[in-house]
Amino acid sequence: MAERRLECSWKRHVVEQLKQRDRVQRHAFEEIIHQYNRLLEKSDLQTVLSERYQSDKYDLQNRHDSSPGLDLSRNDSLQQEMAQMRIRHQEELTELHKKRGELAQSVIELNHQIQQKDKEIQSNEAKMEEYQRQIAELEGECRELRGKLQDLEQANQTLKDEYDALQITFGALEEKLRRTTDDNQELVSRWMAEKSQEANKLNAENEKDCKRRQAKLQKELAEAAKEPLPLDPDDDIEVLAEDSGKGTGETSPNRPLSRTPRRRPGNSYGSSPECTETPSGVCADVRVPATALHVFEAHDGEVNAVRFSPGSRLLATGGMDRRVKLWEVVSGRCEPKGALTGSNAGITSIEFDSAGSYLLAASNDFASRIWTVDDFRLRHTLTGHSGKVLAARFLLDNARIVSGSYDRTLKLWDLRMKTVFAGSSCNDIVCTEQCVMSGHFDKRVRFWDIRAESIVRELELMGRVTSLDLNHDRTELLTCSRDDLVKIIDLRSNAVRQTFSAQGFKCGADWTRVTFSPDGSYVAGGSADGALYIWNVLTGKLERTLDKNHSSAINSVSWSPSGAYVVSVEKGCKAVLWSDM
Amino acid sequence: MIADDKDVLRDVWFGRIPTCFTLYQDEVTEREAEPFYLLLPRVSYLTLVTDKVKKHFLKVMKAEDVEEIWFEYEGTPLKWHYPIGLLFDLHASNTSLPWSITVHFKNFPERDLLHCPCNSVIEAHFMSSIKEADALKHKSQVINDMQKKDHKQLWMGLQNDKFDQFWAINRKLMEYPTEEGGFRYIPFRIYLTMSDRPFIQKLFRPISPDGHTHTLGDLLKEVYPVAIANEAKRYQVVIHGIEPLLETPLQWLSEHLSHPDNFLHISVIPAPSD
Repeated sequence: MAERRLECSWKRHVVEQLKQRDRVQRHAFEEIIHQYNRLLEKSDLQTVLSERYQSDKYDLQNRHDSSPGLDLSRNDSLQQEMAQMRIRHQEELTELHKKRGELAQSVIELNHQIQQKDKEIQSNEAKMEEYQRQIAELEGECRELRGKLQDLEQANQTLKDEYDALQITFGALEEKLRRTTDDNQELVSRWMAEKSQEANKLNAENEKDCKRRQAKLQKELAEAAKEPLPLDPDDDIEVLAEDSGKGTGETSPNRPLSRTPRRRPGNSYGSSPECTETPSGVCADVRVPATALHVFEAHDGEVNAVRFSPGSRLLATGGMDRRVKLWEVVSGRCEPKGALTGSNAGITSIEFDSAGSYLLAASNDFASRIWTVDDFRLRHTLTGHSGKVLAARFLLDNARIVSGSYDRTLKLWDLRMKTVFAGSSCNDIVCTEQCVMSGHFDKRVRFWDIRAESIVRELELMGRVTSLDLNHDRTELLTCSRDDLVKIIDLRSNAVRQTFSAQGFKCGADWTRVTFSPDGSYVAGGSADGALYIWNVLTGKLERTLDKNHSSAINSVSWSPSGAYVVSVEKGCKAVLWSDM
Repeated sequence: MIADDKDVLRDVWFGRIPTCFTLYQDEVTEREAEPFYLLLPRVSYLTLVTDKVKKHFLKVMKAEDVEEIWFEYEGTPLKWHYPIGLLFDLHASNTSLPWSITVHFKNFPERDLLHCPCNSVIEAHFMSSIKEADALKHKSQVINDMQKKDHKQLWMGLQNDKFDQFWAINRKLMEYPTEEGGFRYIPFRIYLTMSDRPFIQKLFRPISPDGHTHTLGDLLKEVYPVAIANEAKRYQVVIHGIEPLLETPLQWLSEHLSHPDNFLHISVIPAPSD
């Protein structure tokens, strides 16, 4: 408390002292000095003015000193001088006014210019704002686009990564596939080798068998030659005589011995030896061919199969050159129409479907193929056999196919494959609606029920069955077997009705095909010596032998549905178009 | 209290001395020159505020007779680099007012006075005093933290007599960290009339090591004990024309009674013998 008071005391002292000082030193003198200074200014101004007037007066006085005159005149002149001075001053004044006017004018102009400039500035600023706004917008867009670009890049990167991964897996799979294919091929080739071994074994057996038979035959012949045998004077000689009477061209005597008894057909055919008119439905006009109309090279190798199309215009031949060639029969010549490729080995059999739009060919590459006839395109390949496919046929509904193969199986294809183990290599097949008949290596003809997929009947022949054919109304089955006999089997009674043979007629191969004529009244077959034999069904005798044009064994024969043409194809690449003209 | 402090600052700043400038009679004039009266600001410098005086006297003189202007009082050349208030307190404190100064235009006393060719010389001197004061008070930290424009503002405030403009910056120079209790050292100069030394300046702390605030008396006792040796009060200790009590705290004096150059200019003059 004492300190506060102490503080107050010295501070108060200072404050009071300052106030007093100011009173004494400042306030007392402030006003006086101010007024004094004002007076001083005024007096200075007066001094300046008086000096100026003084100097003027002195000038005047100096001028008048040179001419002495009266005071009056001096006064007058003085007045004149004064007047002149006044005039001068007036002039100065007017000049100053003028200058002022000019300055005012320039001020107005400058103001105007300033206003214009302001307006310009405003508009420029407005434009700038506009531009800035645009810039902001564009920047926004730019950012967006950059963002999108980043996303796309990321997506692209992920896709690339996926692609790389897939590439790797693909490479691995390819490798696996290659290895598997190699293994497969190895296995297949091994199996083929084994199969061929088996076939060779079978062939050897057959040869042995054949030789045995021949030996036996010779022995019997020898025995028979020793003893005079009672000749049977009935049928044989009669048949011979009738045959030689009928035939117009080349004939050859039947073999003296025929084992199989011939039975005359009962009802369907009359005993009259007419052969030409047996209309059995479709075909109008079956003519037994007499001359070769056209001989041509059909293939670059053996020609194995031939077939007319249902419309009789087209002809298909198949050969060892792996092609099926299509020919058009035009005015007695076969014009090449096209070739169906796709098979990897020789063609063994050909069939058209009932409409003539598809062609089915069986091949040695274990597969059967279907082409469309119009555009020659390969439609289906039916693989699955493990041996050469020797025959393939459409079933009647053209939607199913049955194929028979060297691997002793029949396969029924409904675009789903069914395998039936037949037990023996199948050489040929024919189909009815319900039944499939297959001719086999083991001399049997097997009848299969399609739905049950099982054997209904079996028929045994004397030699390996090489060919089967059905007549038009599916009542008779034509078979050809390696014992060089061509037989007609009645399907209803399931017994051999007729047997055809000829002296020179020998089956050239396991797949030598014989065929009915379209009306079923003739049977045609090619022989190993290159002759085409035509038998008359009614008479059972050889109708004609055409042997001039082939140079090697005939593999297959086809009779056109119109009945006018017959085509035969041979081992030696040739095909011959026959007719009766 | 604070209002009092503000008043003190204003009174200190706006202090004036009535002065009569008379031209030296031996100067060559075209006609007689009247004396010029002027209220001089205590806190400014002679050459800064005497333009009107110079103009007034040049009116009566020929140009070839004019050299650098200088002032003297009763024969003593007045140093322009001392504040005007200090010059008055030191030389003419107890004389009758107005203060009569004689104006010379010739025979510049080279040995006694510094030349002052232009205002930037006064500015340089002023700024150097401020820096010296801050070196003592804050080890120059505050003045060095200021920008050039702040320094300029201090000078312009003084030149144009702008109290608020000046003190806006100067108050920073009057601050101190609270734990210290005051400045590091007090910037002061004690001027003596009867001495060959121009002034006394020493290092002196405002707070003693044991926390006791030093007063004006403590300072004088320490630095110039002659001033307060009590032999019937032979000396007056004058600051800004007043005699503060000896118990006034030195820190407060430095904050409020310093000149614009931040120094406490203390005059010790012989007491008038009435």
